[in-house]
Amino acid sequence: MHSPNQHQRESRERSSASRRNAWLALSAAFALTVAACAAPPAPAAQPPAAAQPTQPAAAEPTQPPAAPPPAAGKFTYWGGLIFSDVANQMLVDKITEWGKARGIEVDVVMINQNETQQKVSAAVEAGTMPDALDMSTGLMQLLAKNGQLEPLDDVFKQIGDAHGGWLDSAVKSVDPATYGGSIWGVPFGLSGNLINRRHDLLSEKGFTEAPKTWEELGRMAEAVNDPPKVYGMGFALSNVGDGNLTVTMLQTWGGRIADDAGKTCTIDSLETRAFMEWITGLYRKGLFPPGVTTWDGAGDNQAYQAGQAAFIANPGSVYLNLRSNDPELLEGTRFSGLPAGPKMQLQPYNPNVRAIPVTSRYKDLAKDLLMYLADDEFMKEYYANAIYGPVLNSQVDFPVFKESPIHIGLLDVAKNGTPPAFPDVDNPAYAEFNSNFLIPKMIQRVVVDNVSIDDAVKETQAACQAIYDKYK
Amino acid sequence: MHPLPAPQASQLPMASPAVLPTPIRASRISLSRRTSLLGYALVAPVVICLLILVVYPFLFGVAISFTNREIGSEGEFVGLANFIYLSKLPSFQKSIVNTVVLVGVVQTMKLVFGLGIALLLNQAIRARQFWRGLILLPWAMPAFVAYLTWKLLYLPQGGAFNVISVGLGFGNVDFLSRELAMPSVILATFWRGFPFWVISFLAALQSVPQEQYEAAAIDGASAWQRFWHITLPGILPVVLVVVLLSTIWTTNSFENIWLITQGGPSDATMTFPVLAYYGLQTLRIGEAAAVSVAMLPVFVTMAFIGVKLLEKE
Repeated sequence: MHSPNQHQRESRERSSASRRNAWLALSAAFALTVAACAAPPAPAAQPPAAAQPTQPAAAEPTQPPAAPPPAAGKFTYWGGLIFSDVANQMLVDKITEWGKARGIEVDVVMINQNETQQKVSAAVEAGTMPDALDMSTGLMQLLAKNGQLEPLDDVFKQIGDAHGGWLDSAVKSVDPATYGGSIWGVPFGLSGNLINRRHDLLSEKGFTEAPKTWEELGRMAEAVNDPPKVYGMGFALSNVGDGNLTVTMLQTWGGRIADDAGKTCTIDSLETRAFMEWITGLYRKGLFPPGVTTWDGAGDNQAYQAGQAAFIANPGSVYLNLRSNDPELLEGTRFSGLPAGPKMQLQPYNPNVRAIPVTSRYKDLAKDLLMYLADDEFMKEYYANAIYGPVLNSQVDFPVFKESPIHIGLLDVAKNGTPPAFPDVDNPAYAEFNSNFLIPKMIQRVVVDNVSIDDAVKETQAACQAIYDKYK
Repeated sequence: MHPLPAPQASQLPMASPAVLPTPIRASRISLSRRTSLLGYALVAPVVICLLILVVYPFLFGVAISFTNREIGSEGEFVGLANFIYLSKLPSFQKSIVNTVVLVGVVQTMKLVFGLGIALLLNQAIRARQFWRGLILLPWAMPAFVAYLTWKLLYLPQGGAFNVISVGLGFGNVDFLSRELAMPSVILATFWRGFPFWVISFLAALQSVPQEQYEAAAIDGASAWQRFWHITLPGILPVVLVVVLLSTIWTTNSFENIWLITQGGPSDATMTFPVLAYYGLQTLRIGEAAAVSVAMLPVFVTMAFIGVKLLEKE
């Protein structure tokens, strides 16, 4: 027989063992759960290769720099999808080639540029940003403001030195004085809208030259307007990036989004009202295709390629499509810069940059890649298939900028264009204003909701000021 | 240390049974504890996953809706500033009305047509299995394919509906105009979602005991009486669950609006999820979270009503 104490002790031991087992089971379950729910493993330490400064390409301007030692892990790059499959594949191949040369596995993910902002937002919050990526200067500005990008002053200088210097437009696109004290992105191509017009139809009506002013363009559009076959004005009035061409139009009328300090909205002006009279007047005359207020980013492309729009503004994707699929329509098409308004002429260039997040595991390798991608031989072929204007002096003489009509126009934009937002101040408030598509919406209020121009302008002024107030 | 020698049985003092715990009793307690702890251990993964994947993001979303947090910066507590800003936003006010209209109309259509078609497919009609399979197609199709197809059908120029309309001599119709954009989105959303209702109702209908219909027929009940007194009570729990789930899904639906109208024209189809998505475009996630949190009372109310109705059933 056991003593009571012994019984109690044994009972306690059994109970203790049972609790231990249970806690072990709980711990194991917890560990399994955490493993199942866990985020990807923490970034690997910077490989030895990254610690070594990469060789600038100064000695051989168009040659890639010497290969750093191999690195462990995978290097991720987010490229911006453009309308040319060939150009997209070229970028993937070039980065893959670089990875092989550097002995690192690369993962190139091509993402829809309309969704870059959302994907980047999620990635920043989740800590899953790539090691380098393409973006607009608008996004660059917003991310740099919050310390999410690596300064690239050194890379910018090295690439510029190796390629005969940067074009002024490229320098202004990333000017540290405007964008927070450093260069946060390396430009690789300038986009810009060019007017695509149906020369074949217009010449029948006696219009053989490009329109010099928006008002002249309106008159020409009216002359060839023949609904439902052809509509004169193929310009988006919807909540997409293309719709923000109306901001540029408004500015050429002398309208401004905000004052010179970039703090107070100044939409409510006579100039804005004059612009609104013009554009809503054309809409009411039936010059805009039906559905133009809900077009997505491809709406103008589709309308023009279907032969249903006489004028559109497009950065070159339509040209690429026509070149491959409809040479006859291309033959009847002419390209020209944006017309002037009553007060000024604007031809905004929209720089596209490559940037490196601060969370990149391979910052020096990423810088090496940016220099590698600036290789002239690669860019010569890339530009021939893409729809970008040049950013470096060494690129200006590429054959494509002498042969292709759209590229000749883009070269002109790169040389003579106006900076983004000009004459307004390019700041985060302006970027948010555009992200909310308030000018296209102001037009929609008149042509869709039938409110008066006066009320629409006042509403937009209030909405604009509410945005700018947040940044004071 | 040497172990002590085991005491002889005769040396053990006598003890009262009350003091001496029996080994069997100790084992029962231990087994009970072990069982309950094992139970905790087995549900722990689910609970922990729910805490990590549902509760934490939910509370985090609520918390940041009270801050001026931007992507990449922590932000500061701003109280109700985001909600006040939103309440003054014309798009926000329209999104409330639009969301209510969209959900209300779509759910009513799904209920009426879903139940009607389910009743039809529950009858002994020809090629019943074929029709049951066919009805699932919209539900089986990826949402983005379905809604892009609808967009193509609606296109004012070259859209299939307009080709037919022009062919019939009615001229071009702008299905995405201010007046027709919401009905167009409603139709597409209904088309995509109603198969789920049909199949759920069909399954529920087959679980209603046939004997009740036979008894009702003997008692001379009309078709309507059989439906009202037998069918409907029999499938009501399923109806309530389907209505609740589908209402939450439809309120949260994004692709239907984004792919067809992007909230336009002039906010005519702007809903909560699309507005929240626009908020993300400016990287101001505090504001974007506020839009989502503003939907919370709606969901809580719906969930509360749903649960109460189910309890009642």
